[in-house]
Amino acid sequence: MAEVEFDQASRIYTAGAKPAVNRLDLEIEDGEFVVLVGPSGSGKSTALRMLAGLEEIDGGQIRIGGRNMVGVPSRDRDIAMVFQNYALYPNKTVGENMAFPLKMRGVPKEERASKVRAAAEILGLSEYLDRKPRALSGGQRQRVAMGRAIVREPQVFLMDEPLSNLDAKMRVSTRTEIAAMQRRLGVTTVYVTHDQVEAMTMGDRVALLKDGELQQFATPAELYDQPANAFVAGFIGSPAMNLFTLPVSEQGVRMGSSELALPRSLRSRISDAGLSTVQLGIRPEQWTVGADGNGSGVKAQVDVVEELGSDAFLYAHLDDGEQTPVVVRTSGRSGARRGDQIALTPTSEDLHLFDPSTGERV
Amino acid sequence: MTVTAERPAELTPRRPDRGPGSRADGWIRRAPLLPALVFTIIVTQLPFLFTIYYSLQSWNLVRPGSRQFVGVDNYILVFTDSQFRQVALNTVLLTAGAVLFSLLLGLLFALLLDRAFFGRGFIRTLLITPFLITPVAAALLWKTVLFDPTYGLINFVLSPFGAGDTDWISTFPLTSVMIALVWQWTPFMMLLILAGLQSQPHDVLEAARVDGANTWGVFREVTIPHLRRFIELGIVLGAIYLINTFDAIYMMTQGGPGTASANLPFYIYQRAFLGFDIGQSAAMGVVVVVATIIVATFALRLIFRSFSGGEET
Ligand SMILES: Nc1ncnc2c1ncn2[C@@H]1O[C@H](COP(=O)(O)OP(=O)(O)OP(=O)(O)O)[C@@H](O)[C@H]1O
Ligand SMILES: [Mg+2]
Repeated sequence: MAEVEFDQASRIYTAGAKPAVNRLDLEIEDGEFVVLVGPSGSGKSTALRMLAGLEEIDGGQIRIGGRNMVGVPSRDRDIAMVFQNYALYPNKTVGENMAFPLKMRGVPKEERASKVRAAAEILGLSEYLDRKPRALSGGQRQRVAMGRAIVREPQVFLMDEPLSNLDAKMRVSTRTEIAAMQRRLGVTTVYVTHDQVEAMTMGDRVALLKDGELQQFATPAELYDQPANAFVAGFIGSPAMNLFTLPVSEQGVRMGSSELALPRSLRSRISDAGLSTVQLGIRPEQWTVGADGNGSGVKAQVDVVEELGSDAFLYAHLDDGEQTPVVVRTSGRSGARRGDQIALTPTSEDLHLFDPSTGERV
Repeated sequence: MTVTAERPAELTPRRPDRGPGSRADGWIRRAPLLPALVFTIIVTQLPFLFTIYYSLQSWNLVRPGSRQFVGVDNYILVFTDSQFRQVALNTVLLTAGAVLFSLLLGLLFALLLDRAFFGRGFIRTLLITPFLITPVAAALLWKTVLFDPTYGLINFVLSPFGAGDTDWISTFPLTSVMIALVWQWTPFMMLLILAGLQSQPHDVLEAARVDGANTWGVFREVTIPHLRRFIELGIVLGAIYLINTFDAIYMMTQGGPGTASANLPFYIYQRAFLGFDIGQSAAMGVVVVVATIIVATFALRLIFRSFSGGEET
């Protein structure tokens, strides 16, 4: 077990082009479960592969347990990796697959067999040890790949979207299994996913990447409550946060024809930053819905009602002349219908404010 | 493959007496294929039946009127003929040697070509060229340009070291033929193995590296098992072609000295068209065909096992 550090680590595939990973700084503690998340092409896999030794480190350093990994081949890094398509050895049986990392490290045969048996027991693979991978289901292959990683008791686990080939239900159950197993083994883990729900539920901390740049590295709650910029705010949370760019007025901001009053604390933050327009972020659950006509609030018209049972999402547009879309969460079976006129008021005091030019949190 | 599952009689669809699906309809639909079938039988099976018929006769073209039925005498002569045994051994040595060495060299070149370097496309074309040359021309090239004792390039290169006066072809006849064959067949093996190498999934190779394998470990544990079917295919196809080698022997050594470098096709040719002994050579031909069928059955089984095995999904 060891801590992992990215210290200004960069990867440049083609000279002159934008780096796939740009000066990444992460300090991952011993035993921590860190999720790298971000949209497609943001450099998550590249960052993980740099840590695995499968990509060059073109700038900066990556340290595992304090040891600089630049120029160290994968086999000497004491890591184990689970690949997206599992990358099992097709000509080896399940047992041989799981024993392979031990064999390559010269572990004696009996010890290999007993470790593989123990891991297979945990993963429920005992009866498949003599099968070839092609005779297994996707979920079983995924577990073989996990088994191959855990038999070796490495310093660090690396996982690149290990659940993306499973069906939705399996994904949810395997997600919890992986998280529980990681807690039990206490091995530092770096996990890549593009699914923000996976990121939020599994990670001790989440690193959000975009275009090779780190946006924010924080706990899931912090990421949700204190997004560092408008991109993080929009990426984390489902449905996404409502973001409006609005002119600043006396009492708050102008939203279409109406004025949205903001609490004093927020107004002072805007004036401190000296902004004349501001990007306002309101999560779907930060609205209260009133019937239209009682005067206060922003007028909107409901387009779609998504009833989920426990609660419902209203997809509406504002009557501001530009039909700005807005998402609202209400309690289930609220009786709202398509075409209804509603009045929206923000409930909470901690709305999110961003500088419209830089996207940074105000 | 035959399906042997028993079916209840009532499940078998009854053949209608007329119209689509009836027996007559079946014949009408197959009739256009008949000429092709008849032609195939005439071209492939009749000559073989004639060969069997000839092999039971004593018949030498230079002694007219000597033709008579002798039963299996020709076959007894074939099996007691020490030259035939020698030539059969030559065939095995030549085929196995040429296949093995071209395979090893092919593997080597394929591994080199599998990595990126400047001018790879050009080098690949150069390496493929021997396979594109007519076998007769290739044999002539080796005989005159390279192996010739007085003006061959090999002796020319060796002469500064005081070793340039060997008559390669008459000293090592079988080996010389084998070298020419290996030279021609290495590109074939190389292409086959290169295709295998390039069809390897990258993530499996990376997984092996992360799992602690060094270059040799990855090659032995992952690459070789993956290449097995390609190597098997190379062996089978190479053997099928090389067992019939005629041109290289005809051009380079004429099977000599004596029968030192003759293989079965060449020896049969000699007995039939230089010795005019039709009965004897027909009997040899039949023996070779039967032996080839036996070997080919195993070979084909190997091919089918390779391809029906189903690999990584
Ligand atoms: N071998 C390569 N050569 C050149 N560019 C590459 C290579 N691999 C990745 N890239 C580029 O680097 C960037 C980051 O790619 P990466 O695979 O890390 O994205 P990702 O975040 O894992 O995306 P996804 O969620 O789609 O897997 C992309 O713009 C991609 O085009
Ligand atoms: Mg990826």
